[in-house]
This record gives sequence, C-alpha cells and structure tokens, in this order.
Amino acid sequence: MNYELGQGLVNVLLLTGTLTLVAVGFSIVWGILNIINIAHGAFIMVGAYVTYWLFTLWGIDPFLSIPISMVLLFIVGYIVQRYLINYVIRAPLLVTFLITFALEIVIINLATVFWKGDFRSVTTAYSGAGFSIGEIQIPYVRLAAFVIALLLTGLLHVYMTYTKQGNAIRATGMDVDAARLQGVKIAHTYALTFALGTALAGAAGSLISVSFPISPTMGGLYTLRAFVICVLGGLGSIPAVIAGSLVFAFIEVFSGVYTPGLKEAIALLVMVLVLIVRPTGIAGKAFYH
Amino acid sequence: MKILGLEKFFSGRKGWLWGLFGLFMLALAVLPLFASGFWLRTLTLIFLLAAMAEGWNYIGGYTGYAAFGNVAFFGIGAYGTALAMLRLHFSFFPALLVGVAAAMLFAIVIGLPVLRLKGHYFAIATVALATAVGEVADYWTDFTGGSAGLTLPFFDPIEYSGQFFYYISFLLVIFGLWLTYFVMKGKMGYSWVAVREDEDAAKMMGINTTWAKVSAFALSALMAGAAGAIYGYWNTFVLPEEVFKIDYTLQMILSTVLGGPGTILGPFIGAFLYYILITLLVFFFHVGAFHETILGVIIILVMVFTPQGLMDFLSGKKKLTLSSLLENIRTHKV
Repeated sequence: MNYELGQGLVNVLLLTGTLTLVAVGFSIVWGILNIINIAHGAFIMVGAYVTYWLFTLWGIDPFLSIPISMVLLFIVGYIVQRYLINYVIRAPLLVTFLITFALEIVIINLATVFWKGDFRSVTTAYSGAGFSIGEIQIPYVRLAAFVIALLLTGLLHVYMTYTKQGNAIRATGMDVDAARLQGVKIAHTYALTFALGTALAGAAGSLISVSFPISPTMGGLYTLRAFVICVLGGLGSIPAVIAGSLVFAFIEVFSGVYTPGLKEAIALLVMVLVLIVRPTGIAGKAFYH
Repeated sequence: MKILGLEKFFSGRKGWLWGLFGLFMLALAVLPLFASGFWLRTLTLIFLLAAMAEGWNYIGGYTGYAAFGNVAFFGIGAYGTALAMLRLHFSFFPALLVGVAAAMLFAIVIGLPVLRLKGHYFAIATVALATAVGEVADYWTDFTGGSAGLTLPFFDPIEYSGQFFYYISFLLVIFGLWLTYFVMKGKMGYSWVAVREDEDAAKMMGINTTWAKVSAFALSALMAGAAGAIYGYWNTFVLPEEVFKIDYTLQMILSTVLGGPGTILGPFIGAFLYYILITLLVFFFHVGAFHETILGVIIILVMVFTPQGLMDFLSGKKKLTLSSLLENIRTHKV
C-alpha cells in the first residue's frame, strides 16, 4: 500500500475522533437551543488550559484531568445559560449571536491577560511514544484521544436516548410548548443542554492539549470547524456529526498533504459551497433524534 | 420664539434632537481650530467608526441581515488604496476610489451567492469570508506584502496631517448621513425595509429582493471601504491582522445597535457613546489590557437591556424607565 495514503487515512480517522468531540457539543446547542455558540471554541481553550495547569502545577495526568475540566465547564455553561442567555433566548438571532460573540472575546481577553498569549504544550513522559504498523506511525496519545472522544460521544448518545433528562432535552428541541405541557422545566433543560455542550467542549480541549500546542486564541478555529462539520453532516443527530467530522477530516488531511498552508481556506470554501447549494444545510433539521 | 417657522420644526423632541445635532456638528466642524492632537485623533477614530456603523446599518439595520464580516470591506478598502498608491503611484483621492471600488465589487461578487443564505448561515458565512480574506492578504506575499504589511507615504504637508484626516473622516460621516437620508426616502430604502419585515412578501409585491440586498451590502461596503482607505493612509501602514481584526466588525455592530438600528442618527450617536465610554474607562481606570473584556461586557449589557438602541428614548418614543429596560427580558425570556 502507498505509504502516504495509508498514513493519511490513519490521520483522517484520528482527526475524526477529536473533531467529533469538538463539534458534538456545538451541534446539540445549535440543534436544541437554536443558538450558534461562538464562544464554543473559547470553552475548548479553557478546557485545554485546565489540563495544562493541572499538569504543570500538580503533575496530574492530562487524561485524568478530563473529568475535572468537564465538571468545571459544565458549571460555567449552566450559569451562562441560566442567568444570561435564557433571558433573551427568544430575541432575534442577532441578540444571541452577539452575546456569545461577546462572551468569546471576554474569555479570550481574560485568558490572554492572565495566562499570557504564548503557545504552551502539555508534554508528558509518554508524549512522543507510539507504535507503527509497517511504516504508518500511530502516537499513543492521539489513539487514546480518539478512543476517549468516541467513548464520550457514545455516552452522550446513550444519555440522550435512554435517560429521562435526555428525552426531555430532545422533546424541548422538537417542540418547546408541548414539552412544557408534559412537565419539562424549560429553563433548567436549556441550561442543562448548554452545560452539556460546554462540558464536551472542555473534554475536547483537554484532549487537544495533549497532542497540539495551546494558546488563548486557539478556539476560533475550532468554532469555525464545528460549524462547518454541522453544515456538512446536518443538524439532525450524533451520527450526522460523526459523518460531518469524517468528511471534514478527509478534506483537511488530504488538502493539507497536497497544499499545505491553505487547508483552512479550502475547508471554508467547501462550507460556503455547501451552503450555497443547500442554504439550510444538508439535513436542515432543527431538532435532535 | 416664532421666527422663520422653525417653531414647528422644533416642536416635539425629534425636532430638538435635530437642532441639538446641528449645533453639535457645527462645534465639530470648528473644533480643529481649538483642539489638540489627542482630541483630533480620538474624534477621527470615532468618525471612522461612525462611518462604518452607518454602513453596517444599511445591511444589518434596515435590511435585517446580520452581516458579521464587514471588516473585510474595511481591509479591502485599506489594501486597495495602499496598493494603488504604491504600485500605480496614484495620489490619495484616486487611490481612495480604487479602494472603495474594490470593496464594493467584492461585496457584489460575494453578496450575490452569500445573501441567499439566511439567519445563522449568513452570519457565519460572512465571518468565514472575512477570515478568509484576511488570510489571503497574509499569504499572498507577492501582491500584498504578506504579514510584513505595506508602508504608505506620509501625508504632505505633515503639520496639517491631523486636520486633514479629521476633516476627511468628518466629511465621510456627513456623506454617510446624507446617503442614509437620500436612500431611505426613496424606493431603494423601502425595498430594504420590506426585505427586513418579510422577504417573501416583498418578493410577491414585485420587489427585486436580490438587488435590494446586494445594494444594501454594496453601500455598506462603500462606507467601510472608504473608512479603511482613510485609516490606512492615516496610519501610513497596512497590516493584515490590523485591518482585518474582527473587533472592528463587533464595534460597528455595537455602535449601530447601541444607537438604534434602522435609524439615521442611531449609528452616529452609538459610535460616539461607545467610543467615549471606552476611552474614559481606559484613560481613567488604566484598564487598557481589558479593552476587549469591556467591549464584550458593553455588548452583553446592550443586547440584554436595550437591543433596540437608545434612539427610541432620545426621540421620546419610549420613556427611559426600569420597566422599559426590562421589556426585552420580559418578552424574550424562556
């Protein structure tokens, strides 16, 4: 087998895992609350820094800090939705869009002031280690990140499908008024949904910090990627997010191989083309299955 | 005060507002005779922001399309002017026209497909395009100078530089106000508002909605492009991460929303209020490092309490009470 192609395909798979985790929280917030959370990438950045500081200050293993950053960002997300966005959630699009945009610049600004703007990385004893199949290299940390990302996505799917709260969230996404009549507490459910989104962003940030350098401005790119993935896959379901991530990872890895430096522009171009051909996205559904 | 029939004009708060506004403009027009460098500089920046906000108001306020990439026009205006001056050896005013034309052309070419999108999709597509244009300016080193930027000649004679850029920005603001007034009393203005209120109904009534949206987008590019052209020459330096900064988009949207989207004076008033507020905060509390945090907090407060802007209060349409500030929350909370 062609070595470059094989390595490329492995990279696509590994990237798909991370991207799925990056996009799935963004997707449920968009699907259920109809909010484009521009601050999603900023929450990913905070998650990455939680892992970084826990590792640097107390030597806590980055994979063990995932639950910590998830809980922390869950709390932050719950408060933001319950005590800010819930108050204006039925206002025109511009209002919620601008508020999350404002949150993003506030978080990035504070992170830059307190943590400095330079790139940092989490370098553990096993960071460089990996194994190889033939000539194809697979780093352990990226494989672990892949497995954990898919595990968390699977857990989310189970939660949304088989628990009462998960069903309440889906019901709210389908029809708010009907859900309210069934006794669902809407304000709480909205806050819970947003908090799930930020918690997943936190987990994504923790996983990203073990394989890539982090900085306060790293998030914007992930917000854009999450959006492109949602457009590519459609807004309907978790499998759609995985499909979107796979397509996106494919474009990014293979355009990266042949035209380095322009892969972001190519991904954006693909998104704009998809949007123009299908202005409501590929699936175009506003609720979760 | 029964002279010149002005009493009718000045009856009611709107008349007084216009009268006050006239006096204010007169004061601004003679200010450079008295004021020093710092105030000229601050006011020039406010004028450029006000001009961009007036432009954003066409697409975001009157036409109702949440454009989040208008900084692209600002940057293209700056780069177009800089390149015309450096490569074609144009003097500033023809170069400014080149920059503005480039920004408007971009708005039309991009607007035709992108303005078919709605809501979130349109908003993100414009963010993405602005980011992409900035990256192209950064990568296309042969043409744009890349991340090293472009250096422009100084304004000559340099001792009048402050006054020159003050007055030209001031003229741009006045031109923007006139353009708003002129467009909004004509057919084009009505077609914009019709698109905002109900695009499908507007189409059924025979309005060419594509033309309405593209014209609003192109005219907002005109204002932002001209502001960028002036800014680039004033700064004598054009840098991708400076002229494509997303903060400018946010500032022009905030100015418009703070003053009152879809009003003639709103963006102008909003730009002044925002800029004075942030200058005072940075100047007296030494919080320069937290500039963006302050911007963000102001945006959040405005969006929660007065998303329709302050124009309604100034013109007396609404009374400024606690209850009216909480109206947005009352109607839009869960």
